[in-house]
Amino acid sequence: MSVAEKSGSTGAGAVAARPPGQRFDRKTIVHAVGIAIFFLLLFFVLPGITSNYWLQICTQVVVYSVVALGLAILVGRVGMVSLGQIALLAIGGWVALRIGFATGLPFPILMLAAGLVTGILGVIVGLPALRLSGLYLALITLMAAAAISIVLQQTNFPNGGGGFLGYDITGSGTAALRRPSIAMETTSFFRYTLIVGGLMFLLAWLHVRGKPGRAWAAIRQSQPAALAGGVNITLYKLWAFALAAFMTGVMGCLLAASGGGLTILQFPTQESISLLAAVFIGGVYGFAGAIVAGVFIKLVPALLDNWDLPPDLLLILFGVGVMQVLLTAPQGLAVQFPKDMMKLAKLIARPFTKGRKTAGEVAR
Amino acid sequence: MPDLKPFIVLGLALGGVFALSGVGLVVLYRATGVINLAYGAVGAFGALISWELINNARWNEWLAFLVCILFGGVVTLVYGYIFGPMLAPRDPLVKATATLGLLLVLLGLSSWIWGDDARSIVLPTTSEGFSIGEVNVNYTQIIALALCLVVTAGTAVFLRVTKLGTAMRSLANDREITAMLGVPVRRVEAAAWLGSGLLSGATGLLLSNLVGLDMVGLTFLVIAALAAALIGQLRSLWVTLAAGLAIGIVQACATPFESIGGYRSMTPFVFAIAALLWFARKQPALVRV
Amino acid sequence: MIRIEDVTVQFGGVKPLDGVTVEFPVGTCGLIGPNGAGKTTFFNVLSGFVTPREGRVVAFDEDLFAMPHYKRARWGLRRTFQTEQAIEELSLYDNVAMVHEHWGQNRTSRREDVLGALDFVGLDHLDPRVKVGVLDARDRRLVEMARAVVGKPRLVLLDEPAAGLPDEETQHLASVIRRIPEHMGALVILVDHDMSLVQNTCSITAVLDFGKLIAAGPTAEVLRDEHVIKAYLGTEEEL
Repeated sequence: MSVAEKSGSTGAGAVAARPPGQRFDRKTIVHAVGIAIFFLLLFFVLPGITSNYWLQICTQVVVYSVVALGLAILVGRVGMVSLGQIALLAIGGWVALRIGFATGLPFPILMLAAGLVTGILGVIVGLPALRLSGLYLALITLMAAAAISIVLQQTNFPNGGGGFLGYDITGSGTAALRRPSIAMETTSFFRYTLIVGGLMFLLAWLHVRGKPGRAWAAIRQSQPAALAGGVNITLYKLWAFALAAFMTGVMGCLLAASGGGLTILQFPTQESISLLAAVFIGGVYGFAGAIVAGVFIKLVPALLDNWDLPPDLLLILFGVGVMQVLLTAPQGLAVQFPKDMMKLAKLIARPFTKGRKTAGEVAR
Repeated sequence: MPDLKPFIVLGLALGGVFALSGVGLVVLYRATGVINLAYGAVGAFGALISWELINNARWNEWLAFLVCILFGGVVTLVYGYIFGPMLAPRDPLVKATATLGLLLVLLGLSSWIWGDDARSIVLPTTSEGFSIGEVNVNYTQIIALALCLVVTAGTAVFLRVTKLGTAMRSLANDREITAMLGVPVRRVEAAAWLGSGLLSGATGLLLSNLVGLDMVGLTFLVIAALAAALIGQLRSLWVTLAAGLAIGIVQACATPFESIGGYRSMTPFVFAIAALLWFARKQPALVRV
Repeated sequence: MIRIEDVTVQFGGVKPLDGVTVEFPVGTCGLIGPNGAGKTTFFNVLSGFVTPREGRVVAFDEDLFAMPHYKRARWGLRRTFQTEQAIEELSLYDNVAMVHEHWGQNRTSRREDVLGALDFVGLDHLDPRVKVGVLDARDRRLVEMARAVVGKPRLVLLDEPAAGLPDEETQHLASVIRRIPEHMGALVILVDHDMSLVQNTCSITAVLDFGKLIAAGPTAEVLRDEHVIKAYLGTEEEL
């Protein structure tokens, strides 16, 4: 059997002998091109066609899409529910602000620091619950989110003051994190955020396509089989949790530099639950779903506000969405919506794949 | 060292309601496998309805309170009746997540109808009271504490002694086998949903009185009840009771201490995570083969 | 060679395994017994999911109980389960590769080992990138078999691999199982209710009943043993 290994690949996704026609290649290339076009459109075209106000909203959409992606990986790929991602976003922002005001470290370092601290915190909170059950994990993340809210209400976000908390009560209240010098205006900051967001998506993609992704698939389907396969379940669950927390923390840093500073009002406990609902609606399995979730969480409320409609309607929609999605999903937390989408995609792709042999039809 | 006695009283009342809610959560979980995360939201919504009836529709307050309790029962029952059987074979995590849907719907509705303004609802029992030594105790607080003890004891007895209670315990064990034994599973579950719902209405009313009528705040006070239920390992009513009371007392007593007072609402979380660390210690990696 | 010495498992008042002592020397060995006899518990003990109250297991001169369960897979313990466990959303290749990559095996030999395993069980005619979810029951069972034999297995535990398969497929499975010890150098323990499968593959068979070992020896003899027949049928009549 001749073998043509994809260069640089780690084995999974690396492909055995390609059947004539290279169907697999075509699909990936189409995907990649599609994503590249989408990205370029956002990067170059979007700032030109929207006002600063809406561009700022779009920056938030990017931020929350990444947060949603982290949650989607937890829920859709591993089967774990976290009800505290928004609180982690706040933590990321806090860390970035504190270090940013205390030192002159460059922005990328701040992002990394925010991501790392948040990642570690996520692991600490998740660890005791992980060995017990998914339900306990969900409950403890909910409690942690509320606890973090309470702490931040007391300590506020750093605004340049001294001491550990960095909050100067006589100061102007909130203060934004300084932006990187190449991203001072709304447009350049949007682009900067877009790039960082893209990198986070890439990071997640590499995980899902690689060894962790396979381990997660095994864990989600059957823990005994995963164990029998040698997978260290606790480690991989923690890894997923840490990844989601890291990505969220990094975006927290960007959030801290986006508006006029951060307040706890921007991170209500209920938003973590809404985020879960948005992730369900977008479909927990795919990466595009995370973008849909980001749109629902940040763009739609702004639109509703713009049209003088009550934003509460969205909450009701989210609530109904959660119940509907969970009811129609055949098993676990994998949802029907992306499966329906896949069926649709296959339908669309049929004219392209007609004539090629499908796997099962190859001569036995 | 400030005088803690008044705070202990407050704590017992608050803890009593936490414990009451916790017991409501545990009983429902044991009978249906559902952790009703919307428990607080249901009670809060009911209290808002009562407020509306009292202040805008000029109803008699006792009637309005009754409506609150009934609302809790009915909404929870309807939810359980519709979604219970459909979600019955699923993982407890899925069932709990579904209740988040109800939570969001209620949050959205209440925000739409009533907005975010602060309101208050005062039970007539709050204005009457007596003193134990130098400490003032009002009847609402007495009711809170007494109710939690009575309900816990009553529920424990009910589960053990009555036919319906035994059926509930059997359900908790295995729904399929219970159904095969001829137990009217759906009716038993409905009873559990109704009971838990009525309790949520009652606790909603009590909490609005003790803490204030704020939809979001009350919704997430379910966390304290969750912590108590978690410490009881979603099984033991008495441990849940004790945990609820302990959380209430510690939280209240932290109030006068300047350095930690502001953080006192974290108490449930601290208790819960300590409990989880304790449970996880003895647990090898959980495998069901 | 694997030697089980006096293994006893106790849950409260129940003893799923009671003082089981048996030696499986080489090749493919059968483990049979009526339902509830303790066969799955036996496998769970070997896998490390259940800790026995007493006893020792020495496999290929190593004390198995000294290894925590996740290390045993690394050591070479493989297992299939009664219910299908192939991961549906992963491809054939990934399913088998996952086992390979999780016990730190040689990365360079991975592709070879994985394709070799798929070939060995007779799945080489399928595109390895196909998701297991689209395959039928027979092929899924074979994927699990491939997972069990990839790399360098030392001890392969097969728990009712033929469950739900029609006779022709069972024949193919039997031929795969028979070839494992010789091709992979592993010891196979097979649990199944299908007596013809056991007879076709196992040279030695042990019998459990109510947690106790009631017979062990060459398969044909064991199947004619009156105690074994009594255990299955509850009577003294011959099969």
